[in-house]
Amino acid sequence: MDFDIIFGNAARAAFGPEAVILALAAIGLNVHFGFTGLLNFGQVGFLLLGAYGTSVSVATFGWSLWVGILVGLVLSVALAVALGFPTLRLHAVMFAIVTIAAAEIIRILIGSTDAIGLTGGPLSLSFDAGAFYDLNPYPDGPHDRYGVGTFEFTGQQMWVITVGWVLVALVSLVVFLIVRSPWGRVLKSIREDEDAARSLGKNVFSYKMQALIIGGVIGGMGGVIDAIKTSGADPNGFRPQVTFFAYTALLLGGAATYVGPVLGAILFWFLREWIESFLRQLSAEAWLPGTVADFLDGSEGVISVGMVGLALVLLMLFRPQGLTGNRTEMQLDAR
Amino acid sequence: MPDELTPGIDEARSGTDELTPGIDEARSGTDSGHMGAEIEPILTVPPVIGAPKPHPILVVDDLTRSFGGLRAVDVDHLEVERGVVTALIGPNGAGKTTLFNLLTGFDRADTGRWSFDGEPVSSPSPDQLARKGMIRTFQLTKSLAKLTVLDNVLLGAPSQIGERLSAAPFRSRWQDQEEANIEQAEELLDRFNLAHMRDELAGTLSGGQRKLLEVARALMADPVMIMLDEPMAGVNPALAQSLMHHITQLAFEGLTVVFIEHAMDVVTGISDWVVVLAQGRIIAEGPPWKVIHDDEVIDAYLGRRRAGAGS
Repeated sequence: MDFDIIFGNAARAAFGPEAVILALAAIGLNVHFGFTGLLNFGQVGFLLLGAYGTSVSVATFGWSLWVGILVGLVLSVALAVALGFPTLRLHAVMFAIVTIAAAEIIRILIGSTDAIGLTGGPLSLSFDAGAFYDLNPYPDGPHDRYGVGTFEFTGQQMWVITVGWVLVALVSLVVFLIVRSPWGRVLKSIREDEDAARSLGKNVFSYKMQALIIGGVIGGMGGVIDAIKTSGADPNGFRPQVTFFAYTALLLGGAATYVGPVLGAILFWFLREWIESFLRQLSAEAWLPGTVADFLDGSEGVISVGMVGLALVLLMLFRPQGLTGNRTEMQLDAR
Repeated sequence: MPDELTPGIDEARSGTDELTPGIDEARSGTDSGHMGAEIEPILTVPPVIGAPKPHPILVVDDLTRSFGGLRAVDVDHLEVERGVVTALIGPNGAGKTTLFNLLTGFDRADTGRWSFDGEPVSSPSPDQLARKGMIRTFQLTKSLAKLTVLDNVLLGAPSQIGERLSAAPFRSRWQDQEEANIEQAEELLDRFNLAHMRDELAGTLSGGQRKLLEVARALMADPVMIMLDEPMAGVNPALAQSLMHHITQLAFEGLTVVFIEHAMDVVTGISDWVVVLAQGRIIAEGPPWKVIHDDEVIDAYLGRRRAGAGS
């Protein structure tokens, strides 16, 4: 059992590009769900359009990467508008159903064989993200490593996560600035009781739409980072569980807080990878009975996701406000 | 029979304000007679259903709303006088709250038209009507539990620069207005005995305090007409007393107040005009001391004190 490797793996996951992507998805979701009370179950749809907008623009149309990124973000806005117009006037539950369905419809369409010419269909689409890596200031020789012990990244990875975490910081700052304003006060009032907001002259539909677009674009940024990280996109990477992982991160860290979604994303990946590495090491131990080792072997990933789920259940029981939330605020729910 | 009802009401009244002569005295006292001129006209209006008012702020025609086979609201003509306190009373299920919902755009009328502040209301939407100055409160209080008491009131402030997304990130653009709003909100909190709760979450307030908070928030919205749905329900007598005092105060300041209430001492104590609704229709309207002696009102709503005592 080598705990150096376990912790190294966990730390790499916690600060790697996957955590950046999850953090962006969760920050967007925080604007929707945490501050406005919009039950968006299709956040993955925004990531998908961010990733495919970028990939298709470069791989299929041969446009520059920067145009591709812009296309990805514009498509996220378009999805928010298309989702919002028919559904934001409806009950919150309707909105939830429509969002999860819309994200699945987009994934299935993009992954269908009829779309091969455009999106690569069920095959993953890859493109040249060289324009991004050309700017990499980190020396990226075959032996260049950054970090300590087993917690280390290559030069390319360093560049992705540097840009990624700077983006997370900037986005968090912008969300902080707009939510602490009177605009943010209206969002929260809509979350609490939209009829009360209406009775005081607030155009609830317009505010919900603004929140949906902002949170959607932030999710789209996560998709863009995903596309750049893998130099491509694959429809299987955008299954509904991505949304639920983002919810898990958000609730772990604390919804309706500013650092909660970021902290939650880091914690989510740390726990998941720590447990998985631990189980992998465990299944290799000689003293383990054969049946247990067979059970573990190959199921480490699944079990680890299950354990994170269990952690979430325990958190909801004992600290429902998440790590950074306000307990008194939470208790007001039991009105 | 009338003789049996009146004494009780008079007692209740003297606790707050004397009615007919009392209110006029109180008003001329606070506002040096200026409001007196506004009050007189309503006293000249005959207590007839649909009676035209000298300065109507709200004029309603042929308003109906049915739920299935039940006609919840069926109002031929109603005018609400500007700058006075109008009470809307009637038995449970009479359609009072439905009428409020229709007028404020929270429910859609089957037929009918109405005008507010001289402008016809064509496609009623709650937020548009609110921005024109028609501000309502709700029977089941809608305090925003996870916002502080101060934020609840600040939300009411109209035309906030900082509520526009383009200005929101730049504090310097909305700070001055926000500070002025905070000052006004604090005055209101003070007036409603909520100043000590300023930074508490509204969800921690008692039911009665929430009613007061909702009224304070509505006043922050700079209303032309305020519509209060059972503002006294569930409020303890001392708080109710102070709320009644505030409502009369509002009318002194020129605001139009319409309120739904069941407690007759409150109705006779603070209203200048009473509209009685039963089964969706207006069955009587007039000054309180006349309406409570109306046979139809007694039958439908007030009830007789002793069987056979009335006739």
